[in-house]
Amino acid sequence: MATEVHSLQELRRSASLATKVFVQRDYSDGTTCQFQTKFPPELESRIERQLFEETVKTLNGFYAEAEKIGGSSYLEGCLACATAYFIFLCMETHYEKVLKKISKYIQEQNEKIYAPRGLLLTDPLERGMRVIEISIYEDRCSSGSSSSGSSSSSSGGGGGGAGGR
Amino acid sequence: MPAASGKRFKPSKYVPVSAAAIFLVGATTLFFAFTCPGLSLYISPVIPVYNAVVFLFVLANFSMATFMDPGIFPRAEEDEDKEDDFRAPLYKTVEIKGIQVRMKWCATCRFYRPPRCSHCSVCDNCVEEFDHHCPWVNNCIGRRNYRYFFLFLLSLTTHIMGVFGFGLLYVLYQVEELSGVRMAVTMVVMCVAGLFFIPVAGLTGFHVVLVARGRTTNEQVTGKFRGGVNPFTNGCCKNVSRVLCSSPAPRYLGRPKAEQTVLVRPPFLRPEVSDGQITVKIMDNGIQTELKRTKSKGSLEVTESQSADAEPPPPPKPDLSRYTGLRTHLTLATNEDSSLLGKDSPPTPTMYKYRPGYSSSSSSAALPHSTSAKLSRVNSLKEPNSICESSRKPSYRSEPSLEPESFRSPTFGKSFHFDPLSSGSRSSSLKSAQGTGFEMGHLQSIRSEGTTSTSYKSLVNQTRNGSLSYDSLLTPSDSPDFESVQAGPEPDPPVGYTSPFLSARIAQQRETDLHGRFASAVSPKHAPPREPSPVRYDNLSRHIVASIQEREKLLQQPPAPGREEDVGLVDSGIQSTPGSSNAPRTSSSSDDSKRSPLGKNPLTRPAPPRFGKPEPPHALRVRSLGSPDQPAAPHLGKSVSYSSQKPASQASVPETEEVALQPLLAPKDEVQMRTAYSKSNGQPKSLGSAPPGPGQVPLSSPTRGGVKKVSGVGGTTYEISV
Repeated sequence: MATEVHSLQELRRSASLATKVFVQRDYSDGTTCQFQTKFPPELESRIERQLFEETVKTLNGFYAEAEKIGGSSYLEGCLACATAYFIFLCMETHYEKVLKKISKYIQEQNEKIYAPRGLLLTDPLERGMRVIEISIYEDRCSSGSSSSGSSSSSSGGGGGGAGGR
Repeated sequence: MPAASGKRFKPSKYVPVSAAAIFLVGATTLFFAFTCPGLSLYISPVIPVYNAVVFLFVLANFSMATFMDPGIFPRAEEDEDKEDDFRAPLYKTVEIKGIQVRMKWCATCRFYRPPRCSHCSVCDNCVEEFDHHCPWVNNCIGRRNYRYFFLFLLSLTTHIMGVFGFGLLYVLYQVEELSGVRMAVTMVVMCVAGLFFIPVAGLTGFHVVLVARGRTTNEQVTGKFRGGVNPFTNGCCKNVSRVLCSSPAPRYLGRPKAEQTVLVRPPFLRPEVSDGQITVKIMDNGIQTELKRTKSKGSLEVTESQSADAEPPPPPKPDLSRYTGLRTHLTLATNEDSSLLGKDSPPTPTMYKYRPGYSSSSSSAALPHSTSAKLSRVNSLKEPNSICESSRKPSYRSEPSLEPESFRSPTFGKSFHFDPLSSGSRSSSLKSAQGTGFEMGHLQSIRSEGTTSTSYKSLVNQTRNGSLSYDSLLTPSDSPDFESVQAGPEPDPPVGYTSPFLSARIAQQRETDLHGRFASAVSPKHAPPREPSPVRYDNLSRHIVASIQEREKLLQQPPAPGREEDVGLVDSGIQSTPGSSNAPRTSSSSDDSKRSPLGKNPLTRPAPPRFGKPEPPHALRVRSLGSPDQPAAPHLGKSVSYSSQKPASQASVPETEEVALQPLLAPKDEVQMRTAYSKSNGQPKSLGSAPPGPGQVPLSSPTRGGVKKVSGVGGTTYEISV
């Protein structure tokens, strides 16, 4: 991290990104979108196991609902065909609606549960639905001491994230 | 559409789609202009309406197939893949409905490709549920637009049939004057329609079958499920409904980045400290592995990041016994996602990418890891059943990238360059596995040579590098270079790296060390003394150990006059091991044990030229050795001599025997190659632990004298000082 000049007002506790945990997809049931509920060991000391598992299970439920093949999705498809897919310009697909719900849920989880614990969930959609990224923050004292050991690489990596895009 | 930027505008790639569009729109317009008026007038006005509806449908689906994002994965960000580049295996295995599926690392996109994902070389993107790249729409067909492509085919077939049929009606019924512009145009349109009908209908029928079977074109063409079970199918009806009725998947690219409105501010809540388990039961997609590690591997990236910064935890020695060679290698690397290879399922060949620098680091951490490496070898050797088992498993390999790349990318052909070297793999997956296995072997040597491994992830680069490294191993004249390179990375300190290659490195160092002692005595070329290989070969299968012991006895016996005979016998013994080792290796690398003939050959024939044949497993070895017999001879002589010099320590150092039994390369190289093979194939073959081995060794007659000649792999003759 670059050296910072601290004024007296800035001498307060701040958090810095320490590392990122990636919860991988669970492919045991094919390509349906599911994430592993296995508790990452890095979060052992940061969050209760049940909270994490509940979050992941809820997300899995959301994705299952999004990919559900039922009457609504069939009708949506028929309607789209009938309108030569112009309906997509006006209407949101079922999947997109559920994604919005997911996004709201993640934000709510972040606010209520994860941020107070120094964690941050990232919507898997930003990662192509391949991983749930959980950023772990460390309490960085105003003295500017570095956070946990892996922070240097992770923070550097986190900063240069979208380079490959 | 493509995620990568900086693409040159290639007009050639727009030719097919332009032609298709011109034919489609042009012919239909002519039909509507010249044929339909007469038809509507004299037969029915419904005809043009019907044709218009169908044509609109065709156009809509064509547009969607052309312009819709097929499901491109965005490139992974750097923090998702911090240390993967040099240490992670090339393949990660997951179990899908009981079937092992391999996920390949995509060097471009920097993540492990999800199942059914493939990297399109034309678009330079990984596409979800990649079907194929269609030149007629100039777009990849993937998860998001497969439905539209399929409907486009169906509707186009219908449209062609309609145009042709109504045109025929027009002509036959002579609705209007037979001769005339309208008739001529109708005939032309009919010809065009008739011409395109055959390929379009064929393609439509092909995709109907694919949809019913729940396969993608990519999987069908690469023969992934040939003779195997498709884990992605849910039955014909569900497959069809999934294609046609599911809600369109979202696109990943081009999304507005969500602003992070949540602030993370300390102080942070901390949970109550529960039982701090060191043992972590890792469940990965149904594969459960229990690994006793200081660091549990919750996620691949995290563990890797952890290991990058922390000291490498000691390898889980007791647990290694559960796994066959490759898995064991994985477990050695605490940061590897070896947990994915459950103990329940035989490991699929896992390719390792590894950073050369870590070879040195692993060397310094050799001692703690030696046992694990040993155990890995034990398992690899003791569990040929797993190899057979894995080979018997439905040969499903999730290697979508390999075949398509071969279709589209000329570079992939390079991987096939090694195909003749590898065994006659019958399937593409075999080939790829072989190629990758081969590459791994190369990588081993590369690593020792201290080359960078950035390109290791790509098939081509690996092979390319591998071949280069092998060339360096070919002749003893090159050995000084090799040794110097070897010595180079060795002193590097370990950087918390525990990778599957650790064992290889350890083995290599051990080999170099063991042989180094004799090298100095036997050959001036291998001057630098090598540190003791940390790999202990006392974990060899009982067959190998027996053969080794037999050989020891033979070597210890007073020399007999029948040197040639002895040579032949010893040669057979020696050859058997490499051959046998090759056999399991190849079988493991392929989904089915088709390599057995190769393995058997060496056993039955003691003639050295046998190894000169470019058989797949041998090819690797021969290649590494190089063709010339003479250069290899000193190597063999050294190895054999050193093995003979260590009869007393046989029990404690069985690896020397093993090395002696494999005088193909300088011991160091040999270990490298062996470990490379074992790693690449994910099967335990490292030390030539084929059952035929022991059968051969006892045939060796006692050594005859001070020096005996032994034929080694590649037709080389070695002087064995007894």
